[in-house]
Amino acid sequence: MDKEGEIIVRDFTSILEELTFNSRPIITTLTKIAEENITYAQYFADALEARIDKCPPNQKLCAFYALDSICKNAGSPYTIYFSRNLFTLYKKTYLLVDNGTRTKLIHMFKTWMDPNDSTGGLSPLFERSALERIEQFLIKASALHQKNFQSMLPTPTVPLLTREIDKLTTLTNERLKSQPNDEKLKMKLVVLTQLKQELHREKLASGALKQLQLQLRQIFAQDQQYLQDIQRQNQQQQQRTQLQQQQQQQQQMSKPSATSSNGSSFIPLFGDNSNTGASLFGNSIGIVGPPNFQNLERSNQLSRMQNLYQSLDSEGLIYKPPKESIVTLYSKLAGDDNLTSNNADRQPEKNLPPIPVLTGILSDCKAYFATVNVDILNTPNLLLSQHIITSDNPVVNSNLIHLLYRAKPYKCNICGKRFGNNVQEKKAQADHLDWHFRINKRIKGSEITAGSNGNTTNATQKNIQSRNWYLQDSQWITFKDDEIVSTTFSTNQNAKMTTASLDDQTQYSSTTKTNEEKKNLGVFAIDEKVLLKKHVVVPESAEDMSFKCPICKEVVAGLYDEELGEWVWRNAMEVDNKYFHATCYYEAARNSTKAGVQLDLESLKHLVTE
Amino acid sequence: MASLPGINDVSQPLVSAGGDDELHRLVIKQGSEWKVEVSSDSRLNVKVKSGIAEIFGTELATGTEYTFKNYQFSIFAVEDVELEWRCPQLDSESLSITANTTAKYIYNLHFALEKMRSSSFEGPRVLVIGDKNCGRTTLCRILCSYAIKNKSYQPMYVNLDPQQAVFSPPGCLTATPISDILDVECSTWGQSMTSGATPLHSKQPLVKNFGLERIAQNKELYLDVVEQLAQGTNDRILNDSLVRRSGALIDIPPLSELDEDFNDLEFFAKKCKANVVVMLGITDNSTAEKIANKLSPLTGSHIVSLPELSGCLQAEDTYSRSLQRIAIREYFYGTPKTVLSPYAIGVDFGDIMVYRPRNLLEDTEDQTNEFLPVTVTANNLQHALVAITYADKKATPQIVQKAPLLGFGLITEVNEKRNKLRILLPVPGALPNKAMVLTSYRYLE
Repeated sequence: MDKEGEIIVRDFTSILEELTFNSRPIITTLTKIAEENITYAQYFADALEARIDKCPPNQKLCAFYALDSICKNAGSPYTIYFSRNLFTLYKKTYLLVDNGTRTKLIHMFKTWMDPNDSTGGLSPLFERSALERIEQFLIKASALHQKNFQSMLPTPTVPLLTREIDKLTTLTNERLKSQPNDEKLKMKLVVLTQLKQELHREKLASGALKQLQLQLRQIFAQDQQYLQDIQRQNQQQQQRTQLQQQQQQQQQMSKPSATSSNGSSFIPLFGDNSNTGASLFGNSIGIVGPPNFQNLERSNQLSRMQNLYQSLDSEGLIYKPPKESIVTLYSKLAGDDNLTSNNADRQPEKNLPPIPVLTGILSDCKAYFATVNVDILNTPNLLLSQHIITSDNPVVNSNLIHLLYRAKPYKCNICGKRFGNNVQEKKAQADHLDWHFRINKRIKGSEITAGSNGNTTNATQKNIQSRNWYLQDSQWITFKDDEIVSTTFSTNQNAKMTTASLDDQTQYSSTTKTNEEKKNLGVFAIDEKVLLKKHVVVPESAEDMSFKCPICKEVVAGLYDEELGEWVWRNAMEVDNKYFHATCYYEAARNSTKAGVQLDLESLKHLVTE
Repeated sequence: MASLPGINDVSQPLVSAGGDDELHRLVIKQGSEWKVEVSSDSRLNVKVKSGIAEIFGTELATGTEYTFKNYQFSIFAVEDVELEWRCPQLDSESLSITANTTAKYIYNLHFALEKMRSSSFEGPRVLVIGDKNCGRTTLCRILCSYAIKNKSYQPMYVNLDPQQAVFSPPGCLTATPISDILDVECSTWGQSMTSGATPLHSKQPLVKNFGLERIAQNKELYLDVVEQLAQGTNDRILNDSLVRRSGALIDIPPLSELDEDFNDLEFFAKKCKANVVVMLGITDNSTAEKIANKLSPLTGSHIVSLPELSGCLQAEDTYSRSLQRIAIREYFYGTPKTVLSPYAIGVDFGDIMVYRPRNLLEDTEDQTNEFLPVTVTANNLQHALVAITYADKKATPQIVQKAPLLGFGLITEVNEKRNKLRILLPVPGALPNKAMVLTSYRYLE
């Protein structure tokens, strides 16, 4: 054992020495030391056994309580160590101590037989063999004790027995007070008075007296037990009344005006509480021995709290605020300090959100409840008739109208469009906001695309735009507005059919022909993004590292692409040894009305997809 | 609550700062509306602080500033609404805030239509009949806006009134699926398609050019154009299940422009397959009865008569003309928020072929109703809005008359000495090699 260990064990032993009376703090300390220094379990066990063995008989119980506490809290290995000598120790102690202590030892032993938490709740605290031996010993001992007890009783005399009968009478009287209708008790009283008279009248044989004495003792013990039970019941009842008082108290608290104006009403309540508390403790002292007192008090408090909570809960008096409630919000906004402080005039201004926000929340809630189960199809009085349209319709005014507004609680800050609460609507809202963002970026002009295009400025970058030609009838008939309003649609609005095509000058009446035209356009529609990604590595022969796009006459300068590690022309492509802007070339090829367009588009498609 | 400005006193707007063009605060009580007239040389900025306000059925965003110019409209408070406004022209002491008495009818009507939409694949096709300034277009606009709010319907707005310019220059008949919210700042309801990004989704209308100002100038042509538009609209509705289910709102010219036997109404109802009739502000019971009798064989019992809308303003002719001017400018140049770049091009006289429809009030000598070729002179074409058709330049007048419409051009300058003219085109590029139709509308930049 190292030095540190020695010190700890020495500490343990010296504290153990101080355990000359039943002291909870000392036992707790010892348990804690034992728990925290499992490595020295052997030494602690030895020390404790020595202590139990050697201390004066009146202190032995305390030492056993320490053992009990350590084993119950720390469990293994202490249970194993103590199991070895447990029987010997127990027996030795039992034989040395007085009857009161013996009862407590037996009581303690009983707790050992119960499955214990420290052993996983399955087996008894100590090894079964040790416990069985103790049990055998106790059975024998109690039989012996019974005999001893009888022999130990004082020789029964008439005055002694009378006194005992008197005691029993008072006990029975007490019981009768609580149960005035119990016929058995009344009979018992009668019997007792008769017995007393009998005792006084004639001399009974000493054997008969002895018998009477034993019977009286038994009855006495039974009655005492009964009274204890009653007291316990009373105790519980008192707890219940206390509980009710507390409830009342709470109700009063919830009316702050009553509290402030009528503060004195608390005093008798509190007074009552303390009184009942005191009498309660008095009772419990009478019933239970001092070592259990603290436990009892604690468990009482705990159970009182639990009872209070459960009864309040079952009455539906306890309000649990949901996560998104105003209470939670409020406590978040206010912080904990403000909840406890009573500074009423400072709070509201500081913490409440502005009135419009609150009324907005309120109106949203109203709208939700007004529309939650509304189905237009099942709503009566929605016929298109003169009478119904021109009269006040309560369903429209108080329920349906919200469908147009707050039934969708999220209003877009930019355009005022409303969005609802379900997953689809939220997705739509997110897409919608993204769309606003993209459009705004395009309206302001995107610097990013300008940079990647080598400082060229074309129409789409600065959002220079113009009115489109109208679609001709055949195009418009098959047009779907989703192409415009879909927020997830390609940003290139010029794609496909949203623009009129000038090509089919004479075929405007022929639907089939224009459909083919459209298909062609569809096939060759190439995403602008793909085009912008097209690049050409600057050839060695290029002068000034630049070329002039023959279509838009823009000079394109080379840029260093870090990924490729090469100088490139962005948004560029090579056709027949000439360089073009990919976008320009695509536009030109697409808009060209010449017969060669098909060829150009083919080659373009080939170039883009290669 | 009591200390909040404007909560107690609604009809008296509270002024936070006096003087012109200052920021004012205004609370409009639920169910009331603020009628505003902003002239062309002024502008009004409005920002909603809290609550729900809408303009012709389109809800305003909270905290976004809207700018209005040369516009008469009303801001309706669906619930108590608090807003900030700024306008050099308006006096904060004399704002016109009144209770809206007809909003409840429109809600009733909307939900009745909504029930029809959800109970059938064929949505309601509503013919809105009324006299001048009774709120026909306003009603259509509100019903279109409501229809797209809760479910993603796309009602078709059909405008048969050539005086009115919706998604197009004036002189046109249009059909437009309303697939997204309308632009509250625009008297033309919003933008038709452009080549670039617009703050709101543009609309794709079908546009037919009538070109004359009054229907009476060539009724036969007008009815022909209506038929063409109705044909296209019906075909689209057949093709587009969403539009079919959403139905249509058919806005027609004021009753005073139509015949007295209501044959025109019958024609509209038949061509557009109307199944609901809403009469607005027709106080004369016998007239209402006559209309109902005329239309009920076509539309059944779905005939409703409502009072004149309380939000509508007594627009004068000068205001209507200014709206038409705005519509032409917007077609080429867009709005401050969507600036468009038109393209001016110089061409020779011989490069264009312009026809004009017969004006029966003036051209009385001929019996046929064919398009007439127009001699290119400054007198005829200077500042004129011309419709460019899909028909080839060399096509016959009959083909031109039936041809779809490519768009409009504006002849800005005619130089007779050099036989040159300048045309403003919406789309950059060469002048399309197409036949043009002269309209009665002139626009001086």
